[in-house]
Amino acid sequence: MATIRIERDGADAGAVATGQEAVAAGQRNILFGLYDDEVKLLDAVKAANADHLDIDDVYTPFPVHGLDPLLGLEESRLHVAGFIFGTIGCLFGFGFMTWVFTRDWPIIFGGKPYWSVPAFIPITFELTVLFSAVGMVTVFYIVNGLGPGAEPRRLHDRITDDKFCIAFDVTDLDGAEVDRLRDYFDRTGVETVHQKMVAA
Amino acid sequence: MENFVFSSRAKTTNLALMGVGLICLIISYFVDGGEGHHMRFWTNFLHNSVFFLGIAALAGFALAAFTTAYAGWFVQFKRVWESFSTFLLPGLFLMGVIIVGLWLHSHHLYHWNDDAAVLEDPILSHKSSFLNKYWFTFGTIAFVGLWYFLLGKMRNISLAEDRDDNDTNFSYYRRYKVYAAIFLPIFGFTSAAMIWQWVMSIDSHWYSTMFAWYASASLFVAMTALTIMLLIYLKSRGYFTMVTAEHFHDLGKYLFAISIFWTYLWFSQFMLIWYANVGEETIYFRERMQNYPVLFWANLAINFVLPFFVLMRNDTKRKMGTLFFASAFVFFGHWLDFFNMIKPGARLTLIEMAAHEEGHAGADHGDTAVMGHDEHADEHEGDETAALAAGEVVSEGDNLQDPAGHDDALDNDNIHFDASAQDDNVPVANEFRGGPPETRGVGPNELATATDRTDPDVFEPNQFIQEEHFGDNEMIGHLEAAGGHSEALHTLGFKSGYTLPGLLEIGTFLGFLGGFLFFVMSKLSTARLEPKNDPYLEESIHHHT
Repeated sequence: MATIRIERDGADAGAVATGQEAVAAGQRNILFGLYDDEVKLLDAVKAANADHLDIDDVYTPFPVHGLDPLLGLEESRLHVAGFIFGTIGCLFGFGFMTWVFTRDWPIIFGGKPYWSVPAFIPITFELTVLFSAVGMVTVFYIVNGLGPGAEPRRLHDRITDDKFCIAFDVTDLDGAEVDRLRDYFDRTGVETVHQKMVAA
Repeated sequence: MENFVFSSRAKTTNLALMGVGLICLIISYFVDGGEGHHMRFWTNFLHNSVFFLGIAALAGFALAAFTTAYAGWFVQFKRVWESFSTFLLPGLFLMGVIIVGLWLHSHHLYHWNDDAAVLEDPILSHKSSFLNKYWFTFGTIAFVGLWYFLLGKMRNISLAEDRDDNDTNFSYYRRYKVYAAIFLPIFGFTSAAMIWQWVMSIDSHWYSTMFAWYASASLFVAMTALTIMLLIYLKSRGYFTMVTAEHFHDLGKYLFAISIFWTYLWFSQFMLIWYANVGEETIYFRERMQNYPVLFWANLAINFVLPFFVLMRNDTKRKMGTLFFASAFVFFGHWLDFFNMIKPGARLTLIEMAAHEEGHAGADHGDTAVMGHDEHADEHEGDETAALAAGEVVSEGDNLQDPAGHDDALDNDNIHFDASAQDDNVPVANEFRGGPPETRGVGPNELATATDRTDPDVFEPNQFIQEEHFGDNEMIGHLEAAGGHSEALHTLGFKSGYTLPGLLEIGTFLGFLGGFLFFVMSKLSTARLEPKNDPYLEESIHHHT
């Protein structure tokens, strides 16, 4: 059976706690295995589903096709935010130019009417794209707790490089259940198994 | 099922459509009473020939472009596009009819084919090295023939690949790729030249550098829409079981994306012309916005607004119902787009021919007749009314009967607007071009609205395209320059088959559609539906967006 490596970093340094002790400390005990290939990862996720193991999360260095339906994730609603921000940008751009060129500071360019709709369209388009893009990035950062100043929470550095990770929350599990997970990791061709305390 | 069986029911349906189309074509030949060398018949014929020939060519383009880009997702249904592209041969015959008509002068689709008119017309004379029947004949036969040859080669290689027992022999695929790569640049340049000849030269004075792109985008959308509809039909008949929602999703993305691209080109063409405000160019849009507003705006609504909102969501591209609905609308919409490119220009040629014939019946007049007003002149905007009123003054006693339903047609030689008439006709832009203020005086014949127009504060905001200002001596030359049709000063009433498609046009469209599908389906039934030895077949089967 694969040995479990205890991982610690900065804030989480200290002995591995289990059960009530960890919960009392406001921490979760995460058992995770690293795979070196996304095909192995997909097979492992399928095996976990077949064994009714409750996967906490899966971390990959890049988007893996077909993973979302296996994990039962809903389609992202981020594009709804994109549409709303785009609409706001569209109306803002068009409305602002309309106000400027008909009310605030009318100027005739090349003999065109003040309210020159065709000339407004490229700028309206650009502002739609800008609002939509910036708005979506902002929403994405807020929803996922990312962005400037945010402390990156990662289980293992190589998940951002070349390793694929399946994580289980073992805070409330007893020894027999943890052994079952270790057995599962062995069966599915895991490379290394780690354990780490993380903030809840 | 490996092979498509062209059922007798499908055959009957397509043949019935072709019958309807043929009857409509025959009726439209006789119903117009020979007006303008049967202009309605010939425009319908050209419109549908170019449209379906273009769809065939763009299907070949999609095959070649995707193959060159190492794409694999489409390989399962590439036989459909190969079958589309074989329609280039019947398309060439259809264009052959136009060519024969060109030589025998049995139609007057192209004003540049009128030798007498070209001699008197500096712009057409200037263009005559490209716009002539020799170029038209050579280009159509040589270029369409070349496309057919290259795409036919590709299809033959693909079919030979299927017959080879060795399924790891990739030499077929490599040769297929070479022909695809040869086809692309050739098609890129020659298709632009041909769409200029076939469609753009109907408005023979007008030109737009965006036109070839615009027409190609239109045809690409139509081709994608037809592919989606045909695939949904074939799936419902039990074929293409491995073509899944993933493939339709990607086809739907193409439908969506190229619709937006088409809109981008539509707008770019419009805005460049609107901004430059050169009379020779704005005339194309002015004509369509003023006399064909329903057609002009419906084109944009069906081909942009509808696919934009319907296909924006993910799941509408994965549901056969909504996808079929959007495809059907957009397919018809781009047929309407070609209608919009062809019919208004042809109608101007028609009017001009009538005026020309009348002119010769009377005195020896120039080529360019200026349309006067019709009886509904007072319903139109003030600037037109003013211009027409001014025209009426100088046209006294020299009105020509216009058989196209307008009482007055002015002879070009008699156009001498006085200063007041000019200014009635010219919007405020003139002030900022530094026109001499004394010529902006108010003449005796102007209407109140015309006077208002010289005040920038009451400038009509929605008048995007303004009329050109012509000096006295420039007037005639500019009118000739503005299309040889003298579009500047007329308003046309409703005319079925030109303003909007009539039943005959719809029938002809269905007939050509039936013919196209009959040909494509009979080609589909001659080979396996799925190219079993294509190296990308596996990728296509497991395609996942």
